[in-house]
Amino acid sequence: MPDPKNVEKMMLTGNAAAAWGVRLAEVDYIPAFPITPQTEIIEKLAKWIADEVMDGRFVNMDSEHSMITAAGAASATGVRTFTASSSQGFLYGFEMLYTVAGWRVPLVMVNVSRGLSSPITLEPDHNDVLAARDSGFLQIHCETCQEVLDSILMAYRLAEDKRVLLPVIVNLDGFYLSFTREPVEVPDVAMVRKFLPSYRPEHAFFKASQPMAQGVAALGGSLYSYFKYQMHLASQKALEVYKEVCGEFEKEFGRNYDTIESYMVDDAEYVLIMTNSFSTLGKVAVKKARENGIKAGLLRLRLFRPFPAADIKDAIHSKKAVAVLDQNISIGKGGILYSEIAGCLYNEKQRPLLLSFIAGLGGKNISQKEFEFIFDKMLEGDTEDVGMPRLLYTEAEWKEAAKLKEIAGRG
Amino acid sequence: MLRVRFHGRGGQGVKVASRVLGTAAFSQGCYAQDFPLYGAERRGAPITSFTRISREPIMERGVISQADIVIVMDETLLHDPMAMPLSGLKKGGIVFINTSHSQEEAGAEYKITAWVITLDLTKIGIEMLGRNILSTLAGAVASRIAGLEEDSLRHAVEKEMSDIMTDRELIEKNIEASLYCYNAIPPVEIKTSGTREAGTVITMPFETAGVSSPAIYAIGNTPLRKTGNWRVFRPVWNYDACTKCMMCAARCPEGCILVNEEGFPYTDYENCKGCLICVEECPTKAVKGVLEVHA
Repeated sequence: MPDPKNVEKMMLTGNAAAAWGVRLAEVDYIPAFPITPQTEIIEKLAKWIADEVMDGRFVNMDSEHSMITAAGAASATGVRTFTASSSQGFLYGFEMLYTVAGWRVPLVMVNVSRGLSSPITLEPDHNDVLAARDSGFLQIHCETCQEVLDSILMAYRLAEDKRVLLPVIVNLDGFYLSFTREPVEVPDVAMVRKFLPSYRPEHAFFKASQPMAQGVAALGGSLYSYFKYQMHLASQKALEVYKEVCGEFEKEFGRNYDTIESYMVDDAEYVLIMTNSFSTLGKVAVKKARENGIKAGLLRLRLFRPFPAADIKDAIHSKKAVAVLDQNISIGKGGILYSEIAGCLYNEKQRPLLLSFIAGLGGKNISQKEFEFIFDKMLEGDTEDVGMPRLLYTEAEWKEAAKLKEIAGRG
Repeated sequence: MLRVRFHGRGGQGVKVASRVLGTAAFSQGCYAQDFPLYGAERRGAPITSFTRISREPIMERGVISQADIVIVMDETLLHDPMAMPLSGLKKGGIVFINTSHSQEEAGAEYKITAWVITLDLTKIGIEMLGRNILSTLAGAVASRIAGLEEDSLRHAVEKEMSDIMTDRELIEKNIEASLYCYNAIPPVEIKTSGTREAGTVITMPFETAGVSSPAIYAIGNTPLRKTGNWRVFRPVWNYDACTKCMMCAARCPEGCILVNEEGFPYTDYENCKGCLICVEECPTKAVKGVLEVHA
């Protein structure tokens, strides 16, 4: 357990917590480009570097595409690198996510989730970060501001491990975390150095005495297949490495972050599956359901890539019913998490009724009434249209939308 | 748990007010959470921020739909159908209004049945800080109503102001003005009871893109959105000094300044936001900014 003398408790936004994580990780190079709701992260880092309380280089780039390129290239020279984006900006740099992951460099980047255009909006859902699910980046999704800071430290350990060497995205929700202040324990840098020593690159670095060509072409399918499948194997390996990192993090800082968080799941019969900051609302719903005699629980997916299929199966295969709340929508299919979770349960002999809900798009609140609706559906064992995604939307919201449509002349 | 909601306009310090309250509560050992909500940021647009205070870890996020305390930093918002500052105030909850009116007058004017507390923060801000910035003042009022200690407030103002400014004198003035506001409000005890939130989940029907695409067919609705109530100061012309040079009209960013039958400039007070660029630009100092008294 940490010595309290080495920890300062502060009121921090999710963005400020991210910046603190980067500062404590003693990152060397930060290429940046602003976008709401991420900008506060790079503003803080820019200020600290200008004020010389943080040692590192900060460079404003001309776009997210250049920014991710610069971040990947810097990481390939062997320095610890950080960058951050959100939503439209994240997608603007999207091509480079695949490219940088293929370079096998340990870049850590933050995505502050924000719904995608059109219509343009500012508040969170996860279509932005989930678009990158196949890129090779590992993904850690956070529920609290504390978890944001901690996950950045863990992300560097994971990415820089020579069994992994894949970049990591740490995800936090815009507004609900990015602009929300709550108490965060900020450890001192000496403690962090014990957990996260400086990066010693072995395969990709810049050294005058040792020239190398990186990011080379691989024409012909067989060599290409080799490289791509090796990335997959490294990502799978990261599951095992993650558990080690998690254990060491707990030893040093006293907080446990498994691949999944099981909230009252052990003896539960009915389980909600959620990710990110809205999980807090789900936990309250679980407590209320328990007060009403329903054996409820909540499983929060924290590590999304690599996908912790075994942990998820163990946690839910024997439940009566499981409801997946996707804060995203794959247009023409439904919830992205639902498909992935259904996929990992298919070959199990014993498996729960699996219901699909779409919730919180563009940061739409999920009221306790809507959670009650989900529990009702699970308790009914409703198999009509099972697997079809159902949007959580209230009558009052429909009426409000109708009013606005009328003002817009679309009634 | 205490749930506090602040309503004001961009530039008044709504976000910092919620932070002053959050930090004050945190510094006396409570769990706290604060959070601003704004769209595309701009001065004058309605802004809401929230603070939750609890002895237990806070298991809530996002907007506060049912508040124990509502702090109205700009009383013109009470008439704004989009802001609706009083919506969801709990039974037994308290409304604070920044106004020159007394509690009785404000309650009657705005037809509020809940417990109303008033103080003229704008006047205090202008007199004690030299400007219409209300962040620490509203934070102080909220700290008092929430039952926090004076020392916690002092610490919070010091902390939050030091984070955003280096002018030591102005920080001291903020501390002094906030303590003045804190002590101008009598201590209160809050006992609220919540109402159950309603909400039937519906199955969304299909509508064609003719209805369901994000486009606006209705034309000319911008004039319906009156921006005149954003003003803190109103520009007033002294025609004895005016030379009809029309510099004010040329510089008005809103195109609000028109010409009357005698050829003198005047502004459309329904839409003038009170930026006072006309006051700044007038070569003969014929335009003055006069403090608005609303309601």
